[in-house]
Amino acid sequence: MADIKQKRILYSEEDLKKRVTELGEQISRDYAGRDLVIIGVMKGSLYFFSDLTRAITIPIGIDLISIGTIPNTTNRTGIVRITKDLDLDITGKDVLVIEDIIRTGLTTAYLVQNLDARKPESICVCSLLLLPDQQLINVPVKYFGYEITNEWLIGYGMDIRERGRNLPYIAEIEKTSG
Amino acid sequence: MSILTISRQIGSFGDEIAETIARRQDCELITRSGLIDRFFAQTASERDRHLLNESAKYFLNISQDGLTYLDILMRSLTEMARTQSAVLVGFGSQVIFADDPEALHIRIEAPVKTRIARIRKQYHVSEEEAASILETADKKHKRFVSVVFGVNSSDSSLYHMTLNTAQLSADECVSAILSIQKEHELRLRLERENKKSETVDHQCDVPIFKNAAEAEFARILDMYQIKWQYEPKTFPVEWDAEGNVTLAFSPDFYLTKFDTYIELTIMNQKYVTEKNRKIKKVRELYPGTNVRIVYKKDFHSLVERFNGGVS
Repeated sequence: MADIKQKRILYSEEDLKKRVTELGEQISRDYAGRDLVIIGVMKGSLYFFSDLTRAITIPIGIDLISIGTIPNTTNRTGIVRITKDLDLDITGKDVLVIEDIIRTGLTTAYLVQNLDARKPESICVCSLLLLPDQQLINVPVKYFGYEITNEWLIGYGMDIRERGRNLPYIAEIEKTSG
Repeated sequence: MSILTISRQIGSFGDEIAETIARRQDCELITRSGLIDRFFAQTASERDRHLLNESAKYFLNISQDGLTYLDILMRSLTEMARTQSAVLVGFGSQVIFADDPEALHIRIEAPVKTRIARIRKQYHVSEEEAASILETADKKHKRFVSVVFGVNSSDSSLYHMTLNTAQLSADECVSAILSIQKEHELRLRLERENKKSETVDHQCDVPIFKNAAEAEFARILDMYQIKWQYEPKTFPVEWDAEGNVTLAFSPDFYLTKFDTYIELTIMNQKYVTEKNRKIKKVRELYPGTNVRIVYKKDFHSLVERFNGGVS
């Protein structure tokens, strides 16, 4: 952490708690009487997922998914694959995917495509942070915490080289930190 | 409405494949015996229906309506196709819908040896008996299409795709057909949109990227298994007094699943301004068209990030 320089706290622990509670209430209202499964995308959404699901007052199913890349020797970019799949069957269920941040939307698009093939009743996304200026793909974002313009952030699940996820707030960091 | 015709050889698993597709698509499965009861219940006597089941030539006879049974069949099927999707198996449906751009025609085959083995297993018969069943069925199938429509059912030009179930499992065939059907429907939808909006359709062109950045971007999309088309459409945005197009815009990529056009702008600022002007016009003239721009700076950070792993 020594080389990660925090510029300022963008969202404090209290800010996050308040916003997550609001999102939880809204989701509880919107999905009342439905069969909702909430899927957290590891590891970035870990704390958001944990706090949000506890702020939801209706009974829900919860599951986690994780994706990674397989390097390809003939193609510099490799391919994306699911490294930890769902344990629950989502067929015929309402699905809400929880992301920490949506930048280009490519990762979320991959997940939505993949989950959609399992024939859920509906599939929507809830992201704590959105970068609308960088978003390339229209993913079905139904809920979001904050719209932001700066992606150099750390804390509340977000990391720099796997450090800083555990900070209870979201901080803006110096670009040189990455 | 989507029409899928499946021509199959006996012992090719064609019937099973058709049934699975109809079930998965939640649409009607229409076979020869089913259609005779469905379309000729009012216009043909029980005897006529029996003869239609037995004889190909009988379809050319004149019914009590003054039309041939074949005319009635074709008219009924065409009307049905306007209102519902269906999977049609056999009875020359590939010929009836040959000129329908919405229809997809599939042929399911397997080598004789494989089909004989399957018939033996299915009917518990000897190899000779299985060979005889196969020969009779093949002759009848060929004869029906030949007598009624004057074509050879094994002519490959009648089909969009032929699948060999000795090499592919029934499940693989179902997946292949559903996949091509999805792509086909997408292409038709874009074609319809092009006609409606007078945009230009390039969908059959092979993608030849104009620069390395486009190829790199295509690789990133492939990495995420996001289906794309390269410059599938040109949007006219300015016309002269005579209605000739004087300015047009062809976005680099179309992301089919997400109905999004992507334009990469990695050149000089003066061209970027021009592109932005064109995109603004596209949004004004073609409401609902979703175009996103990737600027030079964003593109480089995108490539850098994705070459390093998942974003």
